[in-house]
Amino acid sequence: MTELTFAKIDQIVLDTLKPPDRSYWVTVGILFLGVLTGAACWIYQILTGIGVAGMNIPVAWGTYLINFVFWVGIAHSGTLISAILHLLRAGWRNPIARAAETMTVFAVCIAGLFPFIHLGRVWLVFYMLPVPNQRNLWQNFQSPLMFDVVAISTYLTVSSLFWYTGMLPDLAVVRDRATGLRKKIFTVISLGWTGAHEQWRHYARGYLFFAALATPLVISVHSVVSWDFALAVVPGWHTTIFAPYFVAGAIHSGLAMVLTLMIPLRKVFHYEKIITTSVLENVAKTIIFTGLIVGFAYATEFFIAWYSHNPVEVAIFKYRPTGDYAIGFWIMVVCNTIIPLLFFIKHIRTTIFWLFGISICVNIGMWYERFVIIISSVSREFIPHAWGLYSPTMIEFGIMLGAFCLFFFFFFLFVKHLPSVSMTEMKEILDQGEDHAG
Amino acid sequence: MLAEYRVMGLFTDENQAISAIRDIKDSPWPMHRVHSPIPSHKIADALELKKSKVGYFTLAGGITGFFAGFLLAMFTASQWHLIVSGKPVISLVPFFIVGFEFTILFAVFGNVVGLIHQMQLPEYKGLEQYDPRCSGDCFGVMASCKAEELEGLKHFFQSKGGEAKVISNGLV
Repeated sequence: MTELTFAKIDQIVLDTLKPPDRSYWVTVGILFLGVLTGAACWIYQILTGIGVAGMNIPVAWGTYLINFVFWVGIAHSGTLISAILHLLRAGWRNPIARAAETMTVFAVCIAGLFPFIHLGRVWLVFYMLPVPNQRNLWQNFQSPLMFDVVAISTYLTVSSLFWYTGMLPDLAVVRDRATGLRKKIFTVISLGWTGAHEQWRHYARGYLFFAALATPLVISVHSVVSWDFALAVVPGWHTTIFAPYFVAGAIHSGLAMVLTLMIPLRKVFHYEKIITTSVLENVAKTIIFTGLIVGFAYATEFFIAWYSHNPVEVAIFKYRPTGDYAIGFWIMVVCNTIIPLLFFIKHIRTTIFWLFGISICVNIGMWYERFVIIISSVSREFIPHAWGLYSPTMIEFGIMLGAFCLFFFFFFLFVKHLPSVSMTEMKEILDQGEDHAG
Repeated sequence: MLAEYRVMGLFTDENQAISAIRDIKDSPWPMHRVHSPIPSHKIADALELKKSKVGYFTLAGGITGFFAGFLLAMFTASQWHLIVSGKPVISLVPFFIVGFEFTILFAVFGNVVGLIHQMQLPEYKGLEQYDPRCSGDCFGVMASCKAEELEGLKHFFQSKGGEAKVISNGLV
């Protein structure tokens, strides 16, 4: 930390915006091919019908809803880091806040795609918009699905505005050191920011309000997503624990994705002095905490099923660890609750190899958590003759591949064209003499 | 007509800039702006800045949003004339959720409008009287003086440990 100066911070971050080499464009090209694959699958589904996906009664919600919940979850840690930790004045958030916020914006965009894909007849999406219409049909806001439309749209709008506002001073830094076309572009998008005291006076206040508003929003959004399930009378879903359980799980998966993204970013862009091992260690410590909450929630679900003496609840919670999707259940338990406990060992949470490996495990585990919740419950509802199994088709896999590629495609474009570390916030903690390593 | 010069003192040390701000207040040279690469509480204290009014915009947005969300949900429900499972058509609990989300959304809109209005952005003319180093590692204190006082003002900034840069000279 002592080696860093204002000029050094600018130099490290601005170096990342230098013209990329061929390997960068090759990677972007491969990702774009993945995006095209997903788009082709979706077009095929639109032309042929939703039947090309593996979803059918009783499992009408498959990978599209799994991925929707997964990506909304990924989005949550960005707001945790940028808003909640900002309010708590945690200095270690500063080096990773920008990339985490960006991850939030892109992840919400990806999540928002899945309800469209799941609709089948996507051109009827305007039915969800409350606008006067000749059909005289209005949305009913008693439905959790309509809560979701409002919540996700709000979250996307707020997180995008928060992201852009936070970036404004850094856009001015790039503008002041750029030449040619880049200077012109950054002059326009930095809105003429000069860092004058009058600007800072309002900016600091406005940013604080952003953080204060984003904090309850982030909690409400995943609560609303959880009510898509909890308000349905389906065994394994109809439970009051879902909102806190989903919020904790969302932050758990998001923090893991932060590590998955930050570790290569740190290596490729030589951010070692900014994103120090101690910063990553603090993320790992938070993962222990969220992992314990998630583990507690898993155990509580089983306890309540047993304690309720409700035969259907008991049956579904016996089915999950022993039934058709038992592999998914055990991947979920091991990856989300047991493996993160390794972070209790200091050597593991300070070693890049382990940090990266465990973050990947948690990402996989959290995807399977959504799989287990969504699929196992509806495949074994109340009436045995209506039971049925689900397996995704190649079309679903193609769309899922496209979604992951689109996320990383956006992120790759971002890191080479916009400052991926907040220079201003790094200078702020340097000025305050704080140790950003926490 | 008198020529007025605008001179910016550029400091790499924040404390030197603060010292210059405090002392220039007692000088005959009017201070126009202070530029800094970070939001500095010390500079804000030295300038005795008042609290921003952005919060009023945010509050107005939030209140508007709550009623907009709640009333929208009430309006759409009332168009159905349909009682489901004996539940009231105007249900307060689910509509509160819509009201809450709209509160946040409109409060953020209010916040953005407040920021744009108070910071007076976009404003590209300010860049003409600005030094790009102020976004990097320099704190800039801008003051103006008459032609015959130019050397005195430059010397003032230099004596405070900064670099004096003539930003503009015009006629007043």
